[in-house]
Amino acid sequence: MTASRNMFRLSAALLAGSALSFMTAVPAMAQGKAGFEDPNNWPEYHRTSNAWRFSPLNQITRENVKKLKVAWVHQPGNITHGLQATPIVIDGVMYSISANNNVWAIDAATGKTLWNYAPKLDKIVDQVFYGAASRGVTVGRGKVFLGTLDGRFIALDQKTGKELWSTQLTNPKTQYGALFSAPPQLAGNVLFGGTTGGDQPISGKIYAVNADTGKPAWTFDVIKNDPKSWPGDSGKVGGGSAWMPGTYDAKTDTIYIGTSNAAPDYYNYDRKGDNLYTASLLAIEGKTGKLKWHRQEVPNDSWDYDSAYEALVVQKDGKDVIVHLNKGGFVFVMDKKDGALENVWQFSENVNWVKGIDPKTGALIDPVYPEIDKTKTFCPNLLGARSWNHGAYNPGTGLWYSHAMEVCNEVVAGKDDPDNLKAVSALSLGIESIKLVAPPNSKPHGRLDARDPLTGKVKWSIKYDMPPLSSVLTTAGGLVFTGDLEGKIFGYDADTGKELWSFNSGSGLRGGPVSYSVKGKQYIVFPTGLGSHAPGFLAGAFPQIKDLPGGAALIAFTLE
Amino acid sequence: MTHETPRSNAKGRLTVSALVIALGMIWAAPSPAMATEDPIVAPSFDLTDPERIALGKKRFNKTCAGYCHGSDGVGGRAPDFKGRTDLADEEAFRTIFHGRRTSDIMPPWGAAFSTDQIWELVAYIKFLGTQ
Repeated sequence: MTASRNMFRLSAALLAGSALSFMTAVPAMAQGKAGFEDPNNWPEYHRTSNAWRFSPLNQITRENVKKLKVAWVHQPGNITHGLQATPIVIDGVMYSISANNNVWAIDAATGKTLWNYAPKLDKIVDQVFYGAASRGVTVGRGKVFLGTLDGRFIALDQKTGKELWSTQLTNPKTQYGALFSAPPQLAGNVLFGGTTGGDQPISGKIYAVNADTGKPAWTFDVIKNDPKSWPGDSGKVGGGSAWMPGTYDAKTDTIYIGTSNAAPDYYNYDRKGDNLYTASLLAIEGKTGKLKWHRQEVPNDSWDYDSAYEALVVQKDGKDVIVHLNKGGFVFVMDKKDGALENVWQFSENVNWVKGIDPKTGALIDPVYPEIDKTKTFCPNLLGARSWNHGAYNPGTGLWYSHAMEVCNEVVAGKDDPDNLKAVSALSLGIESIKLVAPPNSKPHGRLDARDPLTGKVKWSIKYDMPPLSSVLTTAGGLVFTGDLEGKIFGYDADTGKELWSFNSGSGLRGGPVSYSVKGKQYIVFPTGLGSHAPGFLAGAFPQIKDLPGGAALIAFTLE
Repeated sequence: MTHETPRSNAKGRLTVSALVIALGMIWAAPSPAMATEDPIVAPSFDLTDPERIALGKKRFNKTCAGYCHGSDGVGGRAPDFKGRTDLADEEAFRTIFHGRRTSDIMPPWGAAFSTDQIWELVAYIKFLGTQ
């Protein structure tokens, strides 16, 4: 072999090496570690099963983020309740969903539609409360899975969008339109998910089917069959849905999924008990649907304090712990293995429904319950310390980035009038009246907090006039991305919170931004378009929301 | 819906009643399938009746205000009801009955409430318009 050939080989190797690092743009040391798998893709709802919403890509950095330009815009056409999904991206193809279960496969580099699928939905979806809500799809086993507004799981061929199977799981007529607003998730060959209905007079369930055939596999009753927990017939109308996507640990075949509040929301007179398994984090065996352990965070919930949000997994003293925010304004830190409590810390500035929560036992300290004929102010409000817009964790900074809202509500509890429960869309709030109000001694507002996930210690915090409802994305480029209710998209320094970049998209953000790489280019995509009922609820405390425009567009950015 | 037949007193109610009877279209029980152009049953009471307004207020607070329209009809993504004078009775009735879909969603309540229960809500909304 001649020197020149050796030289050529060396150059080729160097070239290949640099091209590879450019293509993946991931620190080589980090690859293969939890949270760094499959760096070029966004293969599942939170990207990885630890729910980090962290992209290991670092082509877009603190230094060059200002150079981000729009690469493409994808408009689904229907703006009802905006875009609420977190798109999935695998090998250059984006899979997402817009209003009314409209599924899209999109070229992730150009924004071109590859295929589109719109299910024929039962007419009853015109009557459901959570109409149009479509918050994501799941991709795996050569299929794209969705849960529908008429209570089905559907599988599509990943390449063509052709329907492979469809399984009816709920009865929308008898279950107050119980529907799958969130994408069902994969646990091996099992596809599972829960429905809406925490605020409705139903008995919530988690459904699972065989992902390849659609054949029902198991059902988990969120309402425990236990008269001590649910006196009389209260469990039949106890709510208890698991309406957000769960996460799945393949190593232990464990599904982690949170559950909603108990119903009627504020009227607890007929359900004096702990109301298991509402307002709980559940660990369920994927194959069988059997409960491994549970941790109830709000026993006898009487404030609409769902505990349905993401189960963030981080390390504490060398072991995996789950960090779990609930709507009541507390973060529970628990052993991932068995749910044993490690800590509870207060997330909301304004909490008055309890004096605190014992960080060793999880016991509520002096809870104050709603009552009939009495106006009581509770903080947080019924939308919670944060809505369902997810936080993100960056292993580089060790910080958890999560939005927050500081809004309270005045409530008079009341028994539901049976006449009011006749509609499919009826809610079982258990109130005479409710009014959003400012927290004592401050204006209602929103925040983005950067915190130690184990202790809650704040590293930095940004205040917003209106609470943002976008999920958060963080990247190995040292960046945090999110957007506000007016449609302004932000890129912040993950260390300091300093605003480094912004873009006005024209309509508020409600979905989950993602990052991925195609042919060596890192992209960041933001679902835009003011979505869900939440902005309308919040308008009671933030009148300026009333005039914000709707919209629906995926906007992709990349460096020039 | 673009047509408007504003009325807020007994005289206006009579006009609508007469129209409905003339068309022979009295609905024993409204169905959700009712077309948006179909005539609607007139209220069996005066929309300014304080007792009916109070019943409407109670139902409004237990349902509509809880999530969507705000306390005293101030809040939500719809225009405030408080001080609003441009809302025709039938338009309010039809919107409650059928719901509405634009960039936002109001679910239909036609299958849940009786005609008079919907009119009580209209009476309360009209009352808020005078506040």
